[in-house]
Amino acid sequence: MHEMGIAQNILDIALNAAGKEGASKITRINLVAGELRGIVPLQLTFCFGIVSKDTIAGGAYLNIDEVPVSGHCDSCNSDFSVNEYEYVCPTCGSTKIKLTGGTELSIKDIEIE
Amino acid sequence: MKINVMQDVLQANDRIAAANRQLFKEKHNLVLNLMSSPGAGKTSLLEKTAERVAGKLRLGVIVGDIETTRDADRISKFNIPAIQLTTGTECHLDANMVSSALPHMELDKIDVLVIENVGNLVCPAEFIVGEDFKIMILSVPEGDEKPLKYPLMFHESALMLINKIDLIQYTNFNLKEAKANARKINPNIDIIEISCANGVGLDEWVSWLMAKYRDKTDGAGHA
Repeated sequence: MHEMGIAQNILDIALNAAGKEGASKITRINLVAGELRGIVPLQLTFCFGIVSKDTIAGGAYLNIDEVPVSGHCDSCNSDFSVNEYEYVCPTCGSTKIKLTGGTELSIKDIEIE
Repeated sequence: MKINVMQDVLQANDRIAAANRQLFKEKHNLVLNLMSSPGAGKTSLLEKTAERVAGKLRLGVIVGDIETTRDADRISKFNIPAIQLTTGTECHLDANMVSSALPHMELDKIDVLVIENVGNLVCPAEFIVGEDFKIMILSVPEGDEKPLKYPLMFHESALMLINKIDLIQYTNFNLKEAKANARKINPNIDIIEISCANGVGLDEWVSWLMAKYRDKTDGAGHA
């Protein structure tokens, strides 16, 4: 249940950003969530509903874009998508890889009134 | 109206973790974030470690549990400073909770600070707390497929201890399979087989710990 803490963080960031613009309502929050973060969208939406109640973000739509895990191979320089969490380059078999996607968890933008 | 935010959701946590890390650096503390599912042997490992490093390394422990101070009580018996954080409903420790415990610890008198996280294979892996390494215990009765089910924790850990290895003959746990599964997710993970019950592998674990402490302090530590 790390979703509750994450929901609270999302709310804090969104309220802060909306406050700077003098918004009276937040209608939508666009979130980017890497697959590795293990976010359960339904649970996060539920938790967000609880923490945002009685704020200007109450009733806002939480849109969650899930990002698949991807990697870059330092040995052969290829980019690839990581399937089944197998951190091995599919082209050359090297394990010297960097993750290029799948670990992010950020608020991209919000829509306000 | 749409406004760009582009902010990491856990930024607040990560900022506090960075401050913790800076403090640990100044105090020459090696800090390990110890994670596992409930009952895998985190507290037993600390008890056995305390016996073995006595006189060589000074340990300190921060224990996270949803309720009770039982674990801190067990560890305190070894004359090790231990602080219990009861997290209530939270299933993990975050940087802020760890930060709140630090003023109560004499970090100058600690070489290795172990943060014993809440028993859980999911959430603790999400939050950095200022540690040098995340390490984890997988115990034999849990099954060899766990790395595949909880990939983030195995991906984030520098070391996997396979505990309760003395029970392997009574289970269908496949050691080769367990190691292969963990290395698939994290090719660089160190793996040590241990038993807190009969002591197998604990010397190797203590060597790992001492080596990491030496690397971190590079002679500048207080041990």
